[in-house]
Amino acid sequence: MTDDFHASATATFGGSTSRLSLAIVVGLIGLGAGAVVPTWLASDFVLRLGSEGLLLGLLALSVAFLMNQAGLVALGVASIYGGAGYLFAIGMSDWGLTPTAALCVAFLILLVYATMLGALIVRTKPLAFMMLTLAAGEMISHAVLLEGLRDYTGGADGLVVRTNGAVLGIDAARFADPAQFWSLAWGVSVLIGLALWAIARSRLGAVLRAIRENEERMRFSGFNTFLPRLIGYVLVNIVAAIAGFLHVLNAGFVSPESLGLFVSTNTLVAALIGGISGSLGPILGGLIFSFAQDEFGARGLTQLLTGVAIVVFIVVFPRGVVGGLSGLSKRLGWRREAS
Amino acid sequence: MIALLIANSLALASLLIMLSSGLALIYGLRDVINFGHGAIYMLGAYLGYTIALVGGFWLALPLVPVLLALLGIAFEYLALRPLQRRSHIEVALVTLGLGIILGQIIIYFYGGEARSVDAPKILSGSVTILQLSYPVYRLFLIVMGLGSCALLALWLRWTSSGLYVRAVSQDPSVARMMGINADRLSLLVTSLSTAFAGIAGVLAGPYLSVDPGMDVVMIVNCLIIVVIGGTGSIGGAIIAALLFGFVQVAGSVFLPNLAVLVPYILLMVVLLIAPGGIGRGRVLS
Repeated sequence: MTDDFHASATATFGGSTSRLSLAIVVGLIGLGAGAVVPTWLASDFVLRLGSEGLLLGLLALSVAFLMNQAGLVALGVASIYGGAGYLFAIGMSDWGLTPTAALCVAFLILLVYATMLGALIVRTKPLAFMMLTLAAGEMISHAVLLEGLRDYTGGADGLVVRTNGAVLGIDAARFADPAQFWSLAWGVSVLIGLALWAIARSRLGAVLRAIRENEERMRFSGFNTFLPRLIGYVLVNIVAAIAGFLHVLNAGFVSPESLGLFVSTNTLVAALIGGISGSLGPILGGLIFSFAQDEFGARGLTQLLTGVAIVVFIVVFPRGVVGGLSGLSKRLGWRREAS
Repeated sequence: MIALLIANSLALASLLIMLSSGLALIYGLRDVINFGHGAIYMLGAYLGYTIALVGGFWLALPLVPVLLALLGIAFEYLALRPLQRRSHIEVALVTLGLGIILGQIIIYFYGGEARSVDAPKILSGSVTILQLSYPVYRLFLIVMGLGSCALLALWLRWTSSGLYVRAVSQDPSVARMMGINADRLSLLVTSLSTAFAGIAGVLAGPYLSVDPGMDVVMIVNCLIIVVIGGTGSIGGAIIAALLFGFVQVAGSVFLPNLAVLVPYILLMVVLLIAPGGIGRGRVLS
């Protein structure tokens, strides 16, 4: 990837210690308020849209993490996102598991799938990786429609998911309530955003970035270049699976569309809109995309919008909204240059 | 039975060869995988449908490639050249976006339902060869596919521009140092590649259906073929397309329940055995 894409990440934290601690306090208050304040102000409809945006933002966060750290573009997140819903539903209705057990089993299956697929494809070069993730995603979306699996997957109709009782100690009914779900989705987004932010700054992040710059050099220097990329890929899929579980618990429904290519491309757009460096951009991108989709979707323009957004944001604003804003604020002298 | 199977897989492979060799050509010159190739093929099919309604199939067959070659020139000047200095992944994403836009524009004009194109009279019906009755149109498809494949090989092997294309595909910087104008070559190759996609689109009309999902299906198939063939290797792409066609057709005969998954299984198997694909292409960068 170009330097444009991740230049802003390094420029995010500068300034003196007191300014930094002030920023942390303000940030924490902001993050806490974000979970509650919108539930007082916004209507259920807006909250629902916002929650969808957060889930898309979570997916975008995972894709952006891999793009930014490893230079790999995953076009198959939809298969994990939708797959999580399907496996959860099948676990409860066909295997007779309790919701929590179904969740754990589905998670394990996805983990095994992601690890196996990852082991096969992270060895390849970035362009081939992108092609292979697209192919793997299409494979899953075809597999769900197989006639032989119709009893499990419901074919083109999808599945209605009735969750009775509690999931991981949270009453299932609370997931369907727009206000409570917003708070939950917000909390999860913040936690995952912080986690990925920390991982990007850990040794794993440094190794991944070094591999992105020159895989051969890292191999010659005695680093294992396979395992970090595999871990990165699995990590990304874990985030996508969490988003998928949240989605199915909220919607109570899974359909083949949730596995489709357009979920993956929308995710990519959300990441590009927000800017792929850092954790804030993709989440913001997801929210922006969700509200934009509401505006244009009624006129059947969503997919056209997706295509236009991919082109415009890569060609004109490669750093996305967040990267662009931080560049602007720097130019206006609001923030000191990071050394 | 076996003869029918081979003939059917050759018919499918003919389309795939035209599309994936176009992808491999652009990749060789520009290091870019054109994710919008499926949409260009779809445009070819819909234009072919319209022109065939007005002026007949025999007008569509030469006219659509010419129109799409013009589109290829626009693509080269408006997308590939201005983005030359950007990373290949970014350009690939731009082509993905352009493909989505083109697909949506086509759906906007033609609507969501599938269209069917009739083969011209002379090609409809079937002939009997060696006591086997076989549709004439598929034979025509095979002749067209293998013919264009042979022409491509002749061009690459025996002309100076073909030599230049091979040189740039092998090593762009050295070829440039030897005074080859890669930009001019790329214009030729891009328009050739989109023209091939146009022929494939027109030919697909009477053979497969013309529907809004055809771009995604075809680009995914072509990407699988390009990966199996070893990216950038035109010979590898041709062999992979033949293999893919055979596996797909055999899969739909012997494993009808799992037929849609067979190409992916082939892909996974090839990746396990030979991660770089079967051809000797330049390594993906």
